[in-house]
Amino acid sequence: MTPPTGDDDTEPPRSAPPPRVRVTAPRIPVRGAQRAGETSGSSTTHATGATGGTDATDEPDASDVRGVYVRSLIRSQLQLGLVCAAAFALATTLFVLAIVWTPALDESFVAGVPVSWLLLAFGVYPLALTIAALYVWAAARNESRYRSLAEEP
Amino acid sequence: MSPAVGYTAIAVVAVASILIGFYGLRVSRTTSDFYVASRTVRPWWNASAIGGEYLSAASFLGVAGLILLTGTGGLWFPIGYTAGYLMLLLFVAAPLRRSGAYTIPDFTGARLDSLTARRVTSTLVIVVGWFYIVPQLQGAALTVRITTGLPSWVGSVAVAVIVAGVVAAGGMRSITFVQAFQFWLKLTALAVPLVALLIIVNGGTVAPELTPEAAFPTGAGPGALDAYRTISLMVALLLGTLGLPHVLVRFYTNPDGTAARRTTLIVLGLLSVFYLFPTAFGLLGRAFAPDLAVSGEADALILVLPDRLVPGPIGQLLTAFVIAGAFAAFLSTSSGLVVSLAGVISQDLLGGSVRGFRAAALMSSLVPLAVALITESTGLAGSVGLVFAFTASTLCPVLLLGIWWRGLTARGAICGMLVGGLLSGSAIIAVPAVAAAAPAWSAFVEQPAAWTVPIAATVTVLVSRIDRARVPRGVDAFLARLHLPER
Repeated sequence: MTPPTGDDDTEPPRSAPPPRVRVTAPRIPVRGAQRAGETSGSSTTHATGATGGTDATDEPDASDVRGVYVRSLIRSQLQLGLVCAAAFALATTLFVLAIVWTPALDESFVAGVPVSWLLLAFGVYPLALTIAALYVWAAARNESRYRSLAEEP
Repeated sequence: MSPAVGYTAIAVVAVASILIGFYGLRVSRTTSDFYVASRTVRPWWNASAIGGEYLSAASFLGVAGLILLTGTGGLWFPIGYTAGYLMLLLFVAAPLRRSGAYTIPDFTGARLDSLTARRVTSTLVIVVGWFYIVPQLQGAALTVRITTGLPSWVGSVAVAVIVAGVVAAGGMRSITFVQAFQFWLKLTALAVPLVALLIIVNGGTVAPELTPEAAFPTGAGPGALDAYRTISLMVALLLGTLGLPHVLVRFYTNPDGTAARRTTLIVLGLLSVFYLFPTAFGLLGRAFAPDLAVSGEADALILVLPDRLVPGPIGQLLTAFVIAGAFAAFLSTSSGLVVSLAGVISQDLLGGSVRGFRAAALMSSLVPLAVALITESTGLAGSVGLVFAFTASTLCPVLLLGIWWRGLTARGAICGMLVGGLLSGSAIIAVPAVAAAAPAWSAFVEQPAAWTVPIAATVTVLVSRIDRARVPRGVDAFLARLHLPER
């Protein structure tokens, strides 16, 4: 086990292209969030205080709890996405079937175009927009719920 | 149509693009650095820029042409192009922004900790980009031929040369402002002529060539849709959007994940408004210019319609508008693609130098030019649809599983991408053979996404499960970074 010396050559000397420089937003991490990810990734050694715990949350189980929070945030965001995608697919399918099963729409004309064509041409966009707006709201709510959980000691 | 109008409109847009490109060379160093580093680009600007880059020849000309040609079958294309951004919003926008990755190869490389996975992704991105540029060049060929009477190849060569030159010289791309402006230019270039035409048509001075019943037969209406083709097309368009190389880069200028979501929502709104116009053009065309569908020039509908309905100076002015918008579409989409491709090629194959970037920019324009010159356009919206199917079968499963499933491994990702690319690629190539030998099966190769995407995703998951000992070690930290709010 050689301790990393901390210079640029921690990468193995494969014929790799020079790594792209990442520019990320100034990140103000949620307290302990970073650590939660790391510890649940490696192993279950707690190593309390090893990283100089300035947080007041140094009870042994704190990081595990945070890992649970992170996983549940990911799960709820995934569920939300899947529900919204399914809602869009279902709403579009029903909308199209309703058009197809109403032959009267083929025979009534607005500005020389059958209503069935107009509905299909312009009707799906509002569905997509509505679901998108609901999703943005709900995803932000999931995140703020995580935040309030993670910031509680 | 008088060729002078065509020459003038094309020349103005070309010169403006070149000037902006070189002017951008001076300011881009400060401007783009400033934008990317401090991330002060507002969601509205960003969303307009994404729209400006996304709306290509297929959207500007192809959608109306396809509606003229096939009826309601064509209506699904703009719906799919737009709803693709819904999928982007639901599954990709915020996590990808938080990953800090600039391109898809950056993402797979970092997520899977594998140089091979990164290389395979790069190759696929390059293939996707090349074949996405081809329809742009074919659209330019069509526009030049219809509006000036010059041979087709002039248009393709002109766009390829302008794009290669501008990008190699410094890139128009880094400037969010220019791309945002392009969106509003394209929107105006369709909206003004359309509103003028609608007013004239309503005035009753021009009689439609077909009665409403003949222009919109039930046989081409919503009731006649082929369920398999429609579903497969929607799978391709919805999921293919996730992997387009030139779209992703724009998300990078969002300050955080929340802003990335807001930007995507605005893009969805902008696209919904934009597609009203090509759709309406297509519907107008069915009543007023049905002969274009017969002569095989349906894609020229938007270019031809103003002059037909309003002969004289007003018609020429409207035509000039449309030509300028179409050329702006070809130039902005191809330059956006060439910049992202040149970035990937020079980074992964040529060592990342400036000289490498220039060579890569040249390569990224000349290869599609060669393809565009030796192949015949088979409908702009249709050929872009095939690119979406290929992207959906290769890059999309890896991207989605990489963001949401901790079990993805490098081997799983590589196998999935190769299988998806092989299946969808050979389906696309096999179209003529299957149409001749077994016409009953032709829908399955013409619209392959409905079966290639699930197979690619299944292979990715199965191989990753077998290979589960090699799940990258830092995966939990990486996923936490993708999904945790910034503050």
